[in-house]
Amino acid sequence: MSRQTRVAYAFLAPGLLLFAVYRLYPLLEGLRLSFTNARLGRASEQWIGLANYTRLLEDGRFHVSLWNTAFYTVASTLPILAVPLALALALNRGRLRTLLRSVFFFPFTLSVVTVGLAWLWLLDPVVGPFNYYLRGLGVPARSWLADPQTAMWTIILTTVWWVTGYYLVIYLAGLQDIPRDLYEAAALDGASAWRSFWTITLPLLRPVLLFVVVTHVIGSFQLFGQVFVLTGGGPGDATRTVVQHLYEAAFQNFFQFGAASAMAWVLFAVILVFSMLQFRLLRGHTEY
Amino acid sequence: MDTSDHVVEPGSVSRRAFVAGAASVGVAAWARRAAAQPKATITYWNGLTGADGKVMDELIDRFTRETGIRIEQQRLPWADLYAKLQVAVPAGEGPDLALIHTVEVPHFANDGVLEAIDDATTTGKGFRGEDYLPATWQGGTFQGKRYSLPLDVPQHILYLNMKVMKDGGLVGADGRPRVPASRDELVTMAKRLTKADTFGFAIGTVNPGRYTWGFHNLLWQNGANIYSADLKRAGVTDPAALEVAGFWEALPNQHKVVPPANTSCRDAFIAGRLGMWIAGSWNFSGLREAKVDFVAVPMPRLFKQAVVWAMPHQYSFPKPKAADRAKREAAWAHVRWMTDNVAEWTLKAGQVSASRKAHGDPRITGDPVLRALLAQAPSWQVGQPTPKWVAAENVTRPVIEAIYTGQKPARAAMEDLARQINALPD
Repeated sequence: MSRQTRVAYAFLAPGLLLFAVYRLYPLLEGLRLSFTNARLGRASEQWIGLANYTRLLEDGRFHVSLWNTAFYTVASTLPILAVPLALALALNRGRLRTLLRSVFFFPFTLSVVTVGLAWLWLLDPVVGPFNYYLRGLGVPARSWLADPQTAMWTIILTTVWWVTGYYLVIYLAGLQDIPRDLYEAAALDGASAWRSFWTITLPLLRPVLLFVVVTHVIGSFQLFGQVFVLTGGGPGDATRTVVQHLYEAAFQNFFQFGAASAMAWVLFAVILVFSMLQFRLLRGHTEY
Repeated sequence: MDTSDHVVEPGSVSRRAFVAGAASVGVAAWARRAAAQPKATITYWNGLTGADGKVMDELIDRFTRETGIRIEQQRLPWADLYAKLQVAVPAGEGPDLALIHTVEVPHFANDGVLEAIDDATTTGKGFRGEDYLPATWQGGTFQGKRYSLPLDVPQHILYLNMKVMKDGGLVGADGRPRVPASRDELVTMAKRLTKADTFGFAIGTVNPGRYTWGFHNLLWQNGANIYSADLKRAGVTDPAALEVAGFWEALPNQHKVVPPANTSCRDAFIAGRLGMWIAGSWNFSGLREAKVDFVAVPMPRLFKQAVVWAMPHQYSFPKPKAADRAKREAAWAHVRWMTDNVAEWTLKAGQVSASRKAHGDPRITGDPVLRALLAQAPSWQVGQPTPKWVAAENVTRPVIEAIYTGQKPARAAMEDLARQINALPD
């Protein structure tokens, strides 16, 4: 090993050590726990092989959670891609763009609990302003979060409101990286704005789109905060997600760390498969 | 004989006097040191995150001034507190004293999180069962051993919004609101009050659909329970439980007198959009602050018996890493002090005491709400003493919400609930 390599490793060592202690070890410990009946308060734990995993095959509520999580991920991806992109295109130029960027980014500075509580009040069926104005328009008030038909869509709406500013900033950075002369050349060739968008903007935004899709999908599979505050997984189990199911197994129902670890590893596998699929679908070299 | 010892020369001190003087100086110095020595500082975890937390702060300040014992509080939402206790205590990082709800006692005791309190200690510290209401005293035990001592009794009560009641013509000429005496009467009155965006009745605070404590209360009134009497199987498919589930289903879907699930009933009541509201006693001080014109009356009997759901707060001693006598004594001193001053707690925090001693205090009996709460004391009932109670409650929540929102018929939902409860791990 050359001196240069040794020095490089020496500089990397603190980071690697922290990674090993705080990331790798818990990850592997979780994997070990998933093959045991570990439960806080139980004097000893026993190796039970794949029992925690096979039990998930029979756990109806886990299946519902998995389905809800997948539904949320799929249903929220398009608005998460489109709404910030449309805003970014609108704000890419113009006098008030700096101010408007700040305005749109503001919700993202709020914690998920703050966002959840604010929307909970806004959407309250009896005293919430949202229903108040709807009633004013002659539309009957309804409980958006207590109706299984609308609860998940309402969570998607609040999430889009919350994270749009974050993705907007990322899109804007991507848009400003696209050379202007490409648009000028297209304009000289008589391309419309719409055509420029499809043939220049979108293809050249591919790395940004990949980043947005991958991070959003990973985040979606871990959906918890919004659901926990807004619906608690309800009505019934209509918005229950995998992470909520996992959280309850680990911290509310008997501290079943073994069973919860198995759920976490299943979730990890699902996210891994989806992420690899996305990389495969959206990969490609982008050259300006 | 040498008499030099006894010869006192002018200006000199005899040996005896010197020894006596030295001893007295020594004793005084020891006493000063003892007095100057700092008293124990104890850690105390609780979930009093509302206005009651401020009252607790005030009382703890007074306790510290009077006793010299310092208390470091850690206050976090109840659910987080319980998760933290379960993790911290086995790691030897638990508090010296914790305030918990009665239904948490069995599983914490079962998991070895709480230290058992022997009868001699309890009696020696001046705590006697006859000084307490039976449900509260019994709630501190699990499998014949005591693990906690009750402080106060959060419980249900019926709040009547006078504006809504007047608008519905349910206030008599004497200014007194009509109080429902039966289930049918409650529904009839609620129908009369319900119109447009005003609802006649609700049970629960922020999400009536998921309000397990209300559902438990109705089960208990009908002689049903979550578990069978031997605690070995779910009791939620017994006919009495199914009758309650049917009523739970009918309220929003057939009678249409309750607000939708996910409504903040508390806000609706304050806004004058809710007439009759069964909710926790902890709400009344907030209603007074919000200047709501309301009357509180004892929980009505809607089924067979006049049972009132109660959830006493209990003082418990989490197992320490190593025994520390001084800290334990200091923790006992606080429990004793709070019990002796519980009338102050009742008056300021609005929670009636588990101990009977304060029940006759004229300041308490002079308050109409506290008087109503005390009037229903003989009907208090608490959750069943099984370590599975809390987990069973967690699985009950979405099931009763599915009934409330009409997602599942009551019988099918209760059968599903029974399966889930019976499948809970040991």
